[in-house]
Amino acid sequence: MSLAEVTWSLLNRALEAYGDSPQATAWLRRHLARFHDPVRLAVVGPARAGKSTVVNALAGELVAEPGVPDTELSWYQVRQSRSRQELLLLDTPPVDRDTESRVVEGICMEADAVLYLMRHPQDADLAFLRAVQDHPVARAAPVTALGVLSRADELGGGRVDAIVSARQIARRHRREPGLSGLCQDVLPVAGLAACAGRTLREDEFELLAALAALPKQELDPLLLSADRFAADEARAALLERFGLFGVRLATTLVRRGARGQAALSAQLLQRSGLGELRDAVELYFTDRADVLKARSALIGLEVVLRMEPRPAAGPLLAELERTVAGAHEFRELRLIAALRTGRVRLPEELSEEAFRLVGGYGGEASARLGFEAAEAAGPALRHEAVGALRRWQEYAGNPLLGAAERRAAAVVIRSCEALATS
Amino acid sequence: MASPWLDVLDDTIRACAAHERQDLVDRLRVRRAQLVEPRVRVLVFGEPSQGKSQLVNGLLNAPVCAVGDDLTTTAPVVIRHASEPVATLVTGGDDEARAIEGPGHRPVPIESAAARANADETVVRAEVGLPRELLAKGLTLIDTPPVGAPTARHTRNALAALQQADAALLVSDATKELSSSELDLLTRVCALCPTVVVVLTKIDMVPGWRRVAERNQAHLARGGLPVTVLPVSASLRLAAARAGDTALNEESGFGALVQYLHRDLIGHADLLRRRSVAALTRLTADQLTAPLRERLAAAKETDTDELTARWRAAGRKLEELQRESQRWQTLLSDEVADLVADLDFDLRDRTRRILREVDEYFEVADPAKDWDEFAEWMYENLRAVAETNSNWLLDRFEWIARKIARQVAPRGSGSLRERWLESTQLDDHVGELRRPAIERFGVGQKLFVGMRGSYSGLLMFGLATTLAGMSLINPISIGAGAAFGAKSVFEERGNRLKRRQSAARTAAHRYVDDFFLIYGKESKDTVRMIHRDLRDRCTAVAQELRVEITESAKRIKEVIDTETAQRTARVRELSKSIDELTSLRRRAQSLTAAGTVRGLTA
Ligand SMILES: Nc1nc2c(ncn2[C@@H]2O[C@H](COP(=O)(O)OP(=O)(O)OP(=O)(O)O)[C@@H](O)[C@H]2O)c(=O)[nH]1
Ligand SMILES: Nc1nc2c(ncn2[C@@H]2O[C@H](COP(=O)(O)OP(=O)(O)OP(=O)(O)O)[C@@H](O)[C@H]2O)c(=O)[nH]1
Ligand SMILES: [Mg+2]
Ligand SMILES: [Mg+2]
Repeated sequence: MSLAEVTWSLLNRALEAYGDSPQATAWLRRHLARFHDPVRLAVVGPARAGKSTVVNALAGELVAEPGVPDTELSWYQVRQSRSRQELLLLDTPPVDRDTESRVVEGICMEADAVLYLMRHPQDADLAFLRAVQDHPVARAAPVTALGVLSRADELGGGRVDAIVSARQIARRHRREPGLSGLCQDVLPVAGLAACAGRTLREDEFELLAALAALPKQELDPLLLSADRFAADEARAALLERFGLFGVRLATTLVRRGARGQAALSAQLLQRSGLGELRDAVELYFTDRADVLKARSALIGLEVVLRMEPRPAAGPLLAELERTVAGAHEFRELRLIAALRTGRVRLPEELSEEAFRLVGGYGGEASARLGFEAAEAAGPALRHEAVGALRRWQEYAGNPLLGAAERRAAAVVIRSCEALATS
Repeated sequence: MASPWLDVLDDTIRACAAHERQDLVDRLRVRRAQLVEPRVRVLVFGEPSQGKSQLVNGLLNAPVCAVGDDLTTTAPVVIRHASEPVATLVTGGDDEARAIEGPGHRPVPIESAAARANADETVVRAEVGLPRELLAKGLTLIDTPPVGAPTARHTRNALAALQQADAALLVSDATKELSSSELDLLTRVCALCPTVVVVLTKIDMVPGWRRVAERNQAHLARGGLPVTVLPVSASLRLAAARAGDTALNEESGFGALVQYLHRDLIGHADLLRRRSVAALTRLTADQLTAPLRERLAAAKETDTDELTARWRAAGRKLEELQRESQRWQTLLSDEVADLVADLDFDLRDRTRRILREVDEYFEVADPAKDWDEFAEWMYENLRAVAETNSNWLLDRFEWIARKIARQVAPRGSGSLRERWLESTQLDDHVGELRRPAIERFGVGQKLFVGMRGSYSGLLMFGLATTLAGMSLINPISIGAGAAFGAKSVFEERGNRLKRRQSAARTAAHRYVDDFFLIYGKESKDTVRMIHRDLRDRCTAVAQELRVEITESAKRIKEVIDTETAQRTARVRELSKSIDELTSLRRRAQSLTAAGTVRGLTA
């Protein structure tokens, strides 16, 4: 049984055991209902970190109002698109050292996953990320948080290549003990430019195109400073939407051949880091929605068992603990991140295969074993799985492996075993 | 060139030496050397990635300091005027941790100086010389590692560096308002280096920088920090320099900053110096005063309460002893009087009984025949009377002695009691005389045993020896002689029994009366002697006790007196030191009384 199935049955058994407690019943029903909702992703961070902007960028429309301090949690649904699964986004009020723990706990209970926004990774306040894991179930695996260097354009002084250098900073931090233990990955995003890119309007594109068409010696002085660029009213509005970095980037992209609104929009998406951020959200969260949902539900269940202990629930508690301790899915998610971020290094081909086997390209058996979904048939899958299992067992037997590699190989073997016996 | 600030600084150094703070002396000496140089040291500091290094580059129009998007600066760069560009890396030196290697100076190409300094752990600073008008006027610029960076070492170094600066520029970029940690930092900095401005950098990339500047100014005002905010853009400044574009240079805001450095800092070097010395002295005086105050408080607090209480208790004890001695003397006299009466009655009673028996005996017995036997009987009986009576005397005295002892040396007189026990444990032979049957020696017992030691001789010669024969035997022998003398007469004259019997009775009566008289007198003498001895001993003990307590009270008093004297001296000394430091601090304060400079915290 998968983690989701086990969890589902646990929740239903708890519902029976707590049939006489209206409060517990309501709570459990809510978690059962949540089970089939889209993943709930909270965007969290200190004041003016760009949370509302990132929410808009992810949503692809101006749902939250950026630039205005938020005071409460607000939900925004992101509809399913061609390639992306549905997502429920949660814009939150700022959290910092002085935030009441009630607010933090509220966010932790409501969300299945979080994006933690930081402006400078070196002085980020990691208390929130620690709070996210401050729960017996959550501690089992830090699989629900992503660190985001928001306003990444500012790290590089607003230069056109700012995101490149921000990426380097992120790369350094995602392997550092501080952040890597608390979140799956650290990614940069220039939220403002990304948001503008995703919600790019016709008139804006035209203005940008006109600017890009100006001779270099005319345009460059304009782009030297925000003050200069905002001298004209239409340009000021554009600056408001894109930021100086966004404008610089957009005009450069148009000059380099981004023809048309859609093309510019797509390129802005990539150049602002939003593309990678969405990929990461998909890889770590929405693709494994069942695991995250199960995790949230287990946390909910643990709360009931702790708040209203009773003899009938005793076996449930034991089973909950066993489930959490043995949840292979969490380990898979951690390994996916470790391989992605380079926290674990395996030889090139093996790294790729490990990533696939533990579900980096999708959790279904065919995706894990590298089959196109259509041609996948039971015996072929099993044969492939047995082959992979043998290869990985052999690899794990190598006495020269380091501790991290050995642990990674063990996780892969366990995944192969599951595939071979399913 | 006796300038007042130099005097104050020298006095401060002397004060540090007087208070044995060599560390402060060393630091101040370094600072003194800097202050007598005609240069203004301006320190650029702030949180990570705020554009500190780029600001310095902008001021000098040269890429002297390493600039990067991630954490960049790890070693300070000190930039002075030089006719030719030069750069040196300083290793070791004043950093204690690396003192083993000693200071080292390594010349390096100027373009790579800062980058090398940042890459090399052992470099404590890079020193750069540049031919620049700004520097030639007497400015030294210092770029520093970020404050609040992950490594606490940087913060500590930056704050230490601040003590050696005449003025400081807090760099904060325009993408956000001053954070609470930056405001905290500013407050701390103002105490170390009172001449500060906030430089708001990167205004080129932030459309709303004017609002940020306004709000920063408001934050500063609210925090009681009258510090000016100067908005600048190093990017624009450098672009302007490259293009020779004066309008752009104007937009960069560097004009105002350079003017501030020129007019307000270099132009007021003497005031800066005074301010620096004032701050330094204030800080040092506070540093020196804090432990003094603690010690002063402690000195004032150390109480002789406990001693005084003990002294008072001793006084009370003495009074009590005085009262007690009256009481036990009376008690002793009363008890002895009772004893004498009782002994007398007992003796009388017993002898009367004997006489009755004598009378009965001679109703029938014939003295002529039975005298010897009678004399034997009589002798034994009187001896028994004397023994019982004198034993009673001894027992009663033992009891009295215990009772008095309890009064004289009551329980709980502590060491005194111990000594008292020792002093009465003399005379081993006493124990042999009459070994007490009680295992545990109570005070009374000891007293009594001790006492007996002295009067046992008396007893021996008085009572016991009497009993043993001599004086008691004499009257009997006489009496007996008389009786025997009569005996032959009786026998010769025939059976005149009645007369013989009456004569024997008379002889016996006389004999018993003699015994009564003699023994009674002996017994009373003994009682008197024991009484006197007991009284003397008790008086001696009480006296000893008194002396003891008086002595200890005197000692306690002495201790109290010397301690009080010492404490007063210490308090006076500490107060004097504190006063001196306070006046030094006041002198420092008055250095800055005149003149104000923009961006200075007064
Ligand atoms: N340069 C730049 N500015 C940004 C970026 N993202 C947001 N901003 C600006 O930062 C300000 C705050 O953005 P918000 O998205 O409202 O930030 P927030 O975290 O939701 O703020 P609160 O809700 O008040 O905590 C706005 O003025 C945005 O224009 C970015 O990626 N780059
Ligand atoms: N747009 C713009 N960017 C700037 C300006 N000044 C600095 N920067 C950028 O800000 C980033 C940090 O600049 P640094 O000068 O290295 O900052 P720092 O405060 O010395 O950084 P640390 O030494 O790491 O503390 C770099 O990417 C610079 O390009 C400015 O005036 N305008
Ligand atoms: Mg917001
Ligand atoms: Mg620097």
